[in-house]
Amino acid sequence: MKFLPLIWSGIWRKPGRTILTLMQVIVAFALFGVLQGMKTGVDQAIADARADVLHVTPTAFGGAPLPRAYIERLKSIPGIETVGFADVLAGTYQKPSQFVYVVAIENSNKWLTLIPEVIHVGPNDLDALRKTRTGVLVSADMAKEYGWRIGDRIPLTSTTLQSNGAETWTFDIVGTFTARGTEQGTFMVGNYDYLDEARAINKGTVRHFYAVVADPKQAAVVTEAIDNTFANSSNETRTVSFKEYAQQQMQSIGDLDFAIRSIVSAVLVALLFSVASMMMQTTRERTPELAVLKTLGFSDQAVFLLLIGEAVVTCIAGAIIGLGLAMGAFPYAAKFVPGLSMPMVVIGVGVIGSVLIALLTASAPALRASKLEIVDALAGR
Amino acid sequence: MTSIISLTDVSKHYRRGRESVAVLNGFNLDIFEGDFVAIMGPSGSGKTSLLNLIGGLDVPTSGSINVAGERIDRLSRAALARWRSRHVGFVFQFYNLMPTLSAERNVEIPLLLTSVPYAERKRKVSAALDLVGLSERHKHKPNELSGGQQQRVAIARALIADPTILVCDEPTGDLDRHSAEEILELLQVLNRQYGKTVVMVTHDPRAAEYATRQLHVDKGQLSDSRLGTAA
Repeated sequence: MKFLPLIWSGIWRKPGRTILTLMQVIVAFALFGVLQGMKTGVDQAIADARADVLHVTPTAFGGAPLPRAYIERLKSIPGIETVGFADVLAGTYQKPSQFVYVVAIENSNKWLTLIPEVIHVGPNDLDALRKTRTGVLVSADMAKEYGWRIGDRIPLTSTTLQSNGAETWTFDIVGTFTARGTEQGTFMVGNYDYLDEARAINKGTVRHFYAVVADPKQAAVVTEAIDNTFANSSNETRTVSFKEYAQQQMQSIGDLDFAIRSIVSAVLVALLFSVASMMMQTTRERTPELAVLKTLGFSDQAVFLLLIGEAVVTCIAGAIIGLGLAMGAFPYAAKFVPGLSMPMVVIGVGVIGSVLIALLTASAPALRASKLEIVDALAGR
Repeated sequence: MTSIISLTDVSKHYRRGRESVAVLNGFNLDIFEGDFVAIMGPSGSGKTSLLNLIGGLDVPTSGSINVAGERIDRLSRAALARWRSRHVGFVFQFYNLMPTLSAERNVEIPLLLTSVPYAERKRKVSAALDLVGLSERHKHKPNELSGGQQQRVAIARALIADPTILVCDEPTGDLDRHSAEEILELLQVLNRQYGKTVVMVTHDPRAAEYATRQLHVDKGQLSDSRLGTAA
C-alpha cells in the first residue's frame, strides 16, 4: 500500500494518455461484460427452461386450430401428468398500434401451478376471474402503461369477430397476474369460455395445449407419442418442450457463442496491443526517473513491480468501471431480452482477465526498465 | 581518523564501439568520516565516474572500493541497491525529483524501501523539510518550486534515510549564485553540525571553497589534494 502514491503518480504522469487508455479498457470490458452477460443469460434461460412442459400446437403456424376435445386424448397418453389449454385473442386498445393479447385460459385450478413461467396467478385472482365471465387479469407493466386499475372496463378491437358481428370485445379488470420468465407487457389473462362462446368462428378449438410430463427425462418419448397420436388426422400437432423451444430460438439467431467469443477475443487482442504500446512509451519516457529510483535504492525487482503495478491498477480500474457500466445496462437490456443478467462469475473473470492483460502488456517494458544501467540512464544514453 | 571511503588501485574502462576508453587508471583515494570533499577537474577528467563508483552506481573494471565498511565492488546488483538505500544520499545537478509527486512525497521515497511505519515516515519527512527550510511548501510539486527550492527538496530526500555519506554531483550547477550559496551553506551545516560526510563534484572553485578538502582529478588520476579554505 505504501507504494500506491508512487504507482498513482506514475499512472497520471501523462493524464491525457492515461484517460485514453483507461477509456479503451473501459469500453473493452463493458463490451466483454455485456456480451458475456448476454451469453450467460441465454445459457441460463435455456438451462432454466422446463423440459417437462410440452407445448402442443397445430403443425402449421397459423393453420387450423386444434379441437378442444384433444385434451382427453392427451391426458390418456402415458407419461403425461396434467394438461391445460389456452387460446389467444389478438386485439388493439384505443390505437391500432397498441396491441394487446388476451390469453384465454380454461376454467381450472391447475393454472395456479401449471406454467408459472408464462402465467403465475394467485388463488384470489384466479377465483375473481372465474366468477366474472368477461374478467381479465392484467400485469403490473400493462396496468402502468395504460393507467388501468381493478374495476376498469376496457374495450379491445379485434379481427376475431363476435357471433353478433361486433369487432369490439369488452373486458372487466378483476385482478393481476405475473410471469416469471416472459415479457408481461403485452398480454392479459381472460376466460376461455367467454372467448369461445362469443366468437363467430373456430368454436370448440384451441391453439395451445400445455402438457406436463411426470418424468422430464421421458419428454422426448412423450413428445413423439403425442405427435404420433394425431398424425394423419385433419389436425396434426407439433409438440416441443419449453427447453427445446428455447434452444431453437437461440439457434435461430445464429451461433451466438461463436459470435460472442470472436468479438470478445478481437476486442481483448486490440486492447493488448494498445496497453502494450502505452506501457512501452511510458517506460521509455520515464527512463531518467526510473534511474533515479534505482539510484535511491530501488532494486531491479522493485522497479519491475512498480511498473507492473501501474498497468494492473489501470487495467483493474478500467475493467471495474467497464463491467459496472455493463451491469448498469442490464436492467434496461433485460426489458427487451428477458432473462439477461450478469452473474458474479463474469465480473470475476473480467477482473482476472484485466490482471492478465496488465501482466502480458507490462512485463516486457517493465523487465527492460528493471535492467536499466543507472549511469547510462542518468546520462541519457 | 577513520577512512569511510577507500579506493585502492581502481580502474574504470568504458567501451565506446570497439574501443576501450580508460576513465580512471590505478586510482587511490581515502576520504575520512566527517570530510566535506570537493572533487574538481576539467570535463572528461573522470570526476563524475569517480563519484558514481563511490556512490555504488557503477562498478570498477578493477581495484577495490570500500565504503562504510563494505567492499561494494563485490556486491551483486540487488545487494548494491540495498546498500545504496542505507548508506548513500544522492544530490544531482538537475534535482531529479519526481514531477508528479509533491515535495513531501518526493522526500518520502527512500523511506518506502524501509519498514518505517507511516506515522514515523510523516514525522521524518516533516523534520527533513524543516531542516532544509521548506516545511511550508511540503504540498508543492516540483514545477511549483524554484530551482533552489527543488534542490533543497532533493537534499531533504538525500538525508531522509540518514545515510552515511552524501554524494553530490554539481549540486549548484543549475542555480544562480544566491541559491547556490544557500545550498552550499546547507551542505556545510549538514557536514559540520550533523557530521555527514559529503563528497561533491563541482566545476565551480567558489563552491569548492565550502569543502574541507579539495581534490583535483585529471586524466583519470588524482593530480592534487589540498585542504580547503573551510577546513
